[in-house]
Amino acid sequence: MQPLEPLTILIAEDSAADRLLLASILRRQGHQVLTAANGAEAVDAFREQQPHLVLMDAMMPVMDGFEAARQIKALAGETLVPIIFLTSLSESEALARCLEVGGDDFLAKPYNQVILAAKIKAMDRLRRLQDTVLQQRDQIARHHDYLLNEQRVAKAVFDKVAHAGCLNAAPNIRYLQSPYALFNGDLLLAAFTPAGDMHVMLGDFTGHGLPAAVGAMPLAEVFYGMTAKGYGLAETLREMNAKLKRILPVDMFCCATMLCLSFQRRSVEVWNGGMPDGYLHRIASGERTPLPARHLPLGVLSPESFNERTEVFPMARGDRVFLLSDGVIDTCDANEQLFGVQRLQQVFAANRQPDALFEEIEQALRDFGGEARDDVSMVEISLLEPEQITPPTLVYSDSGQSCPLDWSVSFEFRAATLKRFNPLPYLLQLLLEVHGLRAQSGALYSVLAELYSNALEHGVLGLDSSLKRNASGFARYYQERNARLGGLQEGYVRVHLQVAPTDDGGCLTIQVEDSGEGFDVERVMERPLDAIRLSGRGISLIRQLGRNARWTDNGRSARVEFIWEALA
Amino acid sequence: MDDDTHVDRNVLSALREVMEEGYPELLDIFLADSEERLKALRAADSAALLVETAHSFKGSSSNMGALRLTELCRQLEQQAASLPCAAVLELVGKIDREFAGIRPLYEAERQRCPAKI
Amino acid sequence: MPVVTEVSPDGQKLTISVKGRFDFAKHQEFRQSYEDKQLSAVVVDLKDATYLDSSALGMLLLLRDHAGGDDSDIRVVNSSTDVRKILAISNFDKLFDIS
Repeated sequence: MQPLEPLTILIAEDSAADRLLLASILRRQGHQVLTAANGAEAVDAFREQQPHLVLMDAMMPVMDGFEAARQIKALAGETLVPIIFLTSLSESEALARCLEVGGDDFLAKPYNQVILAAKIKAMDRLRRLQDTVLQQRDQIARHHDYLLNEQRVAKAVFDKVAHAGCLNAAPNIRYLQSPYALFNGDLLLAAFTPAGDMHVMLGDFTGHGLPAAVGAMPLAEVFYGMTAKGYGLAETLREMNAKLKRILPVDMFCCATMLCLSFQRRSVEVWNGGMPDGYLHRIASGERTPLPARHLPLGVLSPESFNERTEVFPMARGDRVFLLSDGVIDTCDANEQLFGVQRLQQVFAANRQPDALFEEIEQALRDFGGEARDDVSMVEISLLEPEQITPPTLVYSDSGQSCPLDWSVSFEFRAATLKRFNPLPYLLQLLLEVHGLRAQSGALYSVLAELYSNALEHGVLGLDSSLKRNASGFARYYQERNARLGGLQEGYVRVHLQVAPTDDGGCLTIQVEDSGEGFDVERVMERPLDAIRLSGRGISLIRQLGRNARWTDNGRSARVEFIWEALA
Repeated sequence: MDDDTHVDRNVLSALREVMEEGYPELLDIFLADSEERLKALRAADSAALLVETAHSFKGSSSNMGALRLTELCRQLEQQAASLPCAAVLELVGKIDREFAGIRPLYEAERQRCPAKI
Repeated sequence: MPVVTEVSPDGQKLTISVKGRFDFAKHQEFRQSYEDKQLSAVVVDLKDATYLDSSALGMLLLLRDHAGGDDSDIRVVNSSTDVRKILAISNFDKLFDIS
């Protein structure tokens, strides 16, 4: 009868002959044997040698088996040390006592080797089972600690990336986000474009924890990088989608709403892929226009199938865009009822002070009795006057030594290129190589963008800007723009850039020509400089931000200058 | 007396097999301990002491195959508290005599297997 | 509650019925219901599905990928109003035939 594994067994028995006999039986079965003649010796031996199993006589002098068993069980703690009582105590009271003190089994005299071996085997299996359970529990606890630490590190890294933006600096953004929102997949990013527009994105990754955080970082890098360079919503979304599609597993994606708020053009451009409805709140009429999801989330479609079509809405000063994650709608109460869109609408309807909206929603969630979720994210962006917004100054990473001062370049962008390429970021990067122009990068980009969009939309595509007079006209304008651009076969936009030194510093001349019909230059110039109108060719803007703005060739050719003083 | 009602021969051979060279030592210890227990029984002045000693004696006799001795000790253990003095003394006497009767048997066993020094 | 599969007699169409909550707990079962099969047409029956979360959307994407991606033919049928709403917001009707 060889056991599976030799054990160290403690025998506590006061009868010397019985002790000797039992020890021999056990040694023959392959075990290591320790002996004790009374309870006190047994406890000492246990403390010193940590046997796997104990055979305990009930009646012993000095300390009986019951007390010894109690003490040994206490010393063993979480570890299971089976105690088999050696007893012929037949009264149930005595047997009950054995169990009370932690006895696991009994063995009667005379000792039967077969029965003894069977009991030892059974007890040992229990002992090893308990051991496994404890090991696994400890392993789980360790892994949990590692996980918590990794999350902490990921959060710290992400916070640095997240602070590249203007979320906390801009006065027109209000937001509410739990500190661990990231680990529930919620992402909130905001940054200024070189023209002073603002890009904002509220995202919601599938899954929680580290996978969500890991996807968020590359996304944030693309968002900040491209926004800073002057790329528009469409191009940035296209890149973000392609990146996520490439790096994330098939079943992971990121629902997102992305906005471009233009303070100068008083409009908001929206793209919503899989997020709950956002709301555009018009202060004058009190109306809230829903901004529903028209697209699949980011990271699902291949680049060929991705649809970056946006919708554009006009905004007046004080109007707000409100976005929220599904944590708000999906908050459940005790009966598994959802807070739902209707309750949210009720809060909207009851709201009198726009500034109090967040608090009212939070209160409504609390009143609903829902279990507070930590993936509730809300953001509200208001349209302020351009002067109230101060974008941060761009930081340049070059040494400042080399600088092109006397050059010119010309580009011609034809139909096929106009359809699928935005040259503005490249042109801007080129111009920012001229150090003297860097201080005016905002104005420069705005003017370039205006000139280009005029040339493209009003010139090549022949769109009438007066369509943008009201909200529905706005939507029609942009739909028409996309349609005409999609069908474009012929046409061009030419851009000429010339940089030359002057006595005091330098001068940049920008000239943009288009293949369109032109317009009545004199009539437009007669209008006073006016920053408030919704429509118009942005001619006011160009005249205000640049110098010597001129339109020739029946309006098909526009020209403007920027000068700078030599840097010290 | 060596018929099987007093000592179970099978038990002895099993013991011999298990103990191997330790068999003589086991026999010695059993005989010595038994003498001590008998002394204790004769000198016992409390029921508790009788019960304890009888219990112990019962245990080791059963391990050594001494069937009748085991049974007598069991009776004493169970009844020591309730029997009148005379009956107790009688039972102790029976135990004494039973042990005296089987003792030669164990000694003979002892002779058969000389202990290693 | 289980994920039940049924293959049509001609072996060409697989019907997967998801009962109860369609969430991450069903991940393994759902995958196992199709991964060893060559598929041409799949029907996901949500008649007894009470709830759908973003991991269920992920599982549908995995199924679609396995069944040929853009060339797949996957129908999601018998969706309750609630489930329909979730699928609509995520615009999954652009990828799946939903009824």
